[in-house]
Amino acid sequence: MSMTELIIELTLMPLVAFVLGLGMVLMMRRIAARIQRRVGPPFLQPLYDIIKLYGKQTQISHGLIHEIGIIMAVGGYVAAETLLPVPGMNGLADKGGAITLAYVMMIPSLGLALGVGQCANPNGSIGISRALTAMLAYDIPFILVIFGAAYVYGTTNLADIIALQQQQGPGGWGIMQMPLLAIAGLLTLPAMMGKHPYEIYVAPAEIATGPMVEMGGKFMGGLFVMQCFQLYTVAVLYTTLFLGGGENWLTFLPKIFAVVAIPMSIAYVFPRYRTEDVVRLMWKWPVLVGLMGLAVIMK
Amino acid sequence: MSKDLNIWLDNLLEDIESVQFKRKSSRRVRVDVSSEALPALLELLQGHASYVHLSAISCVDWIDDDEFELVYHVWSYETRSLVSAHTRIPRDPGVYLSIYDLYQPAAFFERDIHEMFGVYFEGSPNMDKFILTEWEGPPPMRKEFDSEAFVNQTFSWEQYHPQWLKELEEQGGGITSRPEDVRR
Amino acid sequence: MSTIDNIPVRQETALAETSGKRSNPLAHVFDELVKFCRSRSMFMLHYCTGCGAIELPPAMTSRFDMERLGIQPMVSPRQADILLITGYVSIKTLKRVILTYEQMPAPKYVIGICSCTVNGGMYWQSYATAKVLREYMPVDVYIAGCMPRPEAVISGLRKLMGDIESGRAESWKKYFQNYDYYLGNQQKLFGDHWQTPTDIVAEARHYELITEHTQGEHTALLEKHQKPLEALQMRLTNKEKQES
Repeated sequence: MSMTELIIELTLMPLVAFVLGLGMVLMMRRIAARIQRRVGPPFLQPLYDIIKLYGKQTQISHGLIHEIGIIMAVGGYVAAETLLPVPGMNGLADKGGAITLAYVMMIPSLGLALGVGQCANPNGSIGISRALTAMLAYDIPFILVIFGAAYVYGTTNLADIIALQQQQGPGGWGIMQMPLLAIAGLLTLPAMMGKHPYEIYVAPAEIATGPMVEMGGKFMGGLFVMQCFQLYTVAVLYTTLFLGGGENWLTFLPKIFAVVAIPMSIAYVFPRYRTEDVVRLMWKWPVLVGLMGLAVIMK
Repeated sequence: MSKDLNIWLDNLLEDIESVQFKRKSSRRVRVDVSSEALPALLELLQGHASYVHLSAISCVDWIDDDEFELVYHVWSYETRSLVSAHTRIPRDPGVYLSIYDLYQPAAFFERDIHEMFGVYFEGSPNMDKFILTEWEGPPPMRKEFDSEAFVNQTFSWEQYHPQWLKELEEQGGGITSRPEDVRR
Repeated sequence: MSTIDNIPVRQETALAETSGKRSNPLAHVFDELVKFCRSRSMFMLHYCTGCGAIELPPAMTSRFDMERLGIQPMVSPRQADILLITGYVSIKTLKRVILTYEQMPAPKYVIGICSCTVNGGMYWQSYATAKVLREYMPVDVYIAGCMPRPEAVISGLRKLMGDIESGRAESWKKYFQNYDYYLGNQQKLFGDHWQTPTDIVAEARHYELITEHTQGEHTALLEKHQKPLEALQMRLTNKEKQES
């Protein structure tokens, strides 16, 4: 791939991620509304929110580290998008594989922790400590799933994984070859997206939205953008590993939206677990199912 | 069973001298007692007659008699009846004994009455303000404090003459009693 | 007949001058877009002052869905646009409301729900409630009622949306432009030592919204009594050790 193509792809992939992420946020809010028997926001609502937040004329910042934290939070996900192959664009997927992606996906939470620590609001500190604990909780089954997938396909290169799955048709998808690992991944999905019942780090009425308590204006806009990226990244990663990626956009889009829709449909009928319950739950069931799946594969 | 206890209580209270006693219903008893005898009466009721729950303490300002009336409502779980012990204290010093030793929740009510009426309770653990923390004036529930005059003096009112009112007045209608006339 | 001497000259305010600096036509389009988005996505602060707050959950839940209009409740004043003053404002609450209002980032809007914010409402004879909210902070929309029904609340919010889109809802600027008046009313209620952590005059200078009404005798009084705020110290003491 020539340098200009690479640069074009590096610019386009986060933009595509942002647009699709907006659609996913809208879908999430619409599903929540329908479950609660109301109508839900209009079509471009997430975009209006982000433009309004960026259009705030006051910016209250608590210092340089606060701003660096937000840049890390959004930048980490922008870097992660370039490592995720979409139909037609591979970006840097050949150069970094699933392991690099797992590392890069940890940067946003750590950056947010830096920024929130600078805010010196106790609600924020409580919230971000819960968020990091929840990240510790879901990382164990997440790494198990990635390890299992890498073992089955023999490579961590995501583009090769997609190619291997598509060669064999729908029977060769990851969900058919390693169903238990796919189930473990599905159980980990809500935690990675930060939705109920693992939504403890936000906790709106308890700790005033936790990490986001001192973020206003452009910072909040950045966090909304981060939410779009977060949903997109998790969905595309799951699709790549288990649902065969996408040969073209027509098959890719329904898959990623379905992957987001399934946890959302059950999210809004759940309350939230406490932090220690999240850790206990994440380290019990997805890990057990994942280990069983690994045992089945590695025989 | 509870009716027997009620009969015994009635007999006991009728025998005591400085106590006026009136049973209002099967669950309500009104007792008027002098201010020196009230703590003793409450101690008797708590210890010997199972009235262990202090429901409330209220205060009434009888400005014409120059007295405060304090009412102690005590409840018994066993007879399921409420005894209201009324006592009067002179308005001028406005000081009375606290019954914190008998009933701990009394501290809360006494603090409230001190803030609102200015009655000081000796022996109550905390007499600080907690409701009207930003209030600098006289105790507001006293009858000599004219809340409306205070409001007219301190606050100003909104002046507005909306369009729909102008239209009504053009047609001959309007407001019959204006707020300015009601607010002296 | 008016001569050239007595034709009144209209003074352009400071804001018109700054907007004239960006004279490219694309700026106008961008402003319209941002105003449209502001009207379609309003975050209300979930701080409900008095009894009128009971009418907000019905407006937010299934029957009268407010999220269709883009309005969602947000928890912290740093994140919210609209401050809803629902119900009576006691003097104690008014202090905290003003603190909250000054913490919100601009542009911000205040809606006075219920008649108690208009002219005292049911508690007009009370020594402890503020009567006219407009004297202490600028208000965009009043929704009268005791309490107004959710349909009335939503219709008031739609009026605010229309005002934002047309550019009439600029009351946050009024706070900076007339700070002396608001501070004077606040000092009359709270005493001369009233101060907030926010430096309004410096903010007004930053937004170039200083007028001759921003500073006056009341801000001079504030400067005289102002104490620099220190950070709260956290100390863990052992009470039993102290007593023994």
